[in-house]
Amino acid sequence: MAGQPLLEIHDLSKRFAQRAGREPPPWVIQDLSFTVGEGEFLTIIGPSGSGKTTLLNMIAQIDSASGGSVRFQSQIAPIADPKALNPGLSCQIGYVTQEDNLLPWRTTLRNVLFPLEVQGRLNDETRAHAQMLIRAVGLAGFEDHYPHELSGGMRKRASLIRTLVYDPPVILMDEPFGALDAQTRAQLQEDLLRLWDLGRKTIVFVTHDIAEAIALGDRTLVLTRAPARIAGEHKITIPRPRDIRGIMTHSEFGPLYQRIRAELQ
Amino acid sequence: MATLEGSPDSNGAIRGGRAGALMRERGDQLLVLVVLIAIWQALSMIYGVYWIGSPWGVLVRFSEGVLKGELLRHTSYTLWEAVAGFIIGAVPAAALPFLLRRRPIITAILDPFMVGGYGAPKLALAPLFVLWFGIGIESKVALVAITVFFIVYFSALAGIRSLDAKLVQMAQVMGANERDVARHIVFPGAVPYIFTGLRIAMPYSIGGAVIAELISANRGLGYLIQLGAMNFDTTGVFVALVAVTCIVIVGNWSVNVVERRLLRWRPPADLKLETGA
Repeated sequence: MAGQPLLEIHDLSKRFAQRAGREPPPWVIQDLSFTVGEGEFLTIIGPSGSGKTTLLNMIAQIDSASGGSVRFQSQIAPIADPKALNPGLSCQIGYVTQEDNLLPWRTTLRNVLFPLEVQGRLNDETRAHAQMLIRAVGLAGFEDHYPHELSGGMRKRASLIRTLVYDPPVILMDEPFGALDAQTRAQLQEDLLRLWDLGRKTIVFVTHDIAEAIALGDRTLVLTRAPARIAGEHKITIPRPRDIRGIMTHSEFGPLYQRIRAELQ
Repeated sequence: MATLEGSPDSNGAIRGGRAGALMRERGDQLLVLVVLIAIWQALSMIYGVYWIGSPWGVLVRFSEGVLKGELLRHTSYTLWEAVAGFIIGAVPAAALPFLLRRRPIITAILDPFMVGGYGAPKLALAPLFVLWFGIGIESKVALVAITVFFIVYFSALAGIRSLDAKLVQMAQVMGANERDVARHIVFPGAVPYIFTGLRIAMPYSIGGAVIAELISANRGLGYLIQLGAMNFDTTGVFVALVAVTCIVIVGNWSVNVVERRLLRWRPPADLKLETGA
């Protein structure tokens, strides 16, 4: 499924700035290398505190790296100098964060339209696309509600389609469904796979849930505790479209789950 | 397919309950008002109308003043000073922290002076302003403006500092430039703080105008108070005080109306805490 590498992470390392008079801080991430193919759904799984968010922040260019490089479409991204960072790499890398980060003073619809507005791409066609996405995730009728009037699951959906609406070639997702109940979570995973199936974007999806990593991904990377390194890599060949709720019964699921769990320890 | 938690209907039921609570609250407020007037009446009977004008006498004089237009003229004069001073003080105070947002060094240099200005008793400046700007409207407007300025400045500054860095990062990832961030994130985020400042500053603006008039004026409610006191006319003083109170209540109500309109996006609980409505 993976074509030419769209995103290449090479020897990426990160330690936070040293404070005066203290020991140098430990490495959060050390010499991490992997590639992501065009149209690939990559899941990354690691214990909490393994620097998963830091990794995505560096790829999204909102945090600088202490070493190594990130290449996008064979172009090297300016990642070492905090001042030269280009967040989102000129709208080519979308980022769905752990918190929904919706603007509380905007309604659902205006939150979803926000990226189009600042990119100067708001027109009838993109508006119609936004409306289509709102309907697709079941937010129809809630366009004029403010974030505080939505449930956690609805806010997540709004935050997800706010990134989908401007169609970045790569989308990073940081445990987007982490704080939801199991039912809502399964629903959102299904929504995500359905939407992904329409466009086959490149997705890097970080989670600490083994079942989620297997259910969603074409391939999964297992990270160690900090300093994060790759403990294992697995192709997931469960055919698509997948049945999220019944995926545990697939013959491939059990052994893969066991192997990943062993690597995480 | 959507799991529609929290449908609009259930919100409607909650609003019905709130309306009932509001009615009860209004009733209790009326009760407190009646008790206060009764205490006033009792004091006026104990000490005599000479020292404490009776509520009824004040009401009569108040109505006369309104009907003859004299009270309205003085009130509108004071109101005009307060509104002009409020705008002249509040607009730059709200704008300054925005302009200095990317210049933390200048903000830091200004800080002790701003704190000094905030802490200094502005009312003590009133005689100075009368010397500088005369006994006309200018000295009153100046006093109101300087009083309002420092209150609103610190509120707006707190609003800028409360900025959620994650919202800014998100917007930047989505392609927002510096101007978009200021317009769509920093400003709307600071508006609730600015309103808190405006609400605190509003009674000060009326108070500032009245006190400047007390020092030296030939018009306005402060002048009426001064005149009443000089003539041993406590009823006259109370009439002017009631007028001042009315302006403050109307002013506070106006700020609340504008705020509720602009801050519809806030959860009702927050709004209630902030406005005390």
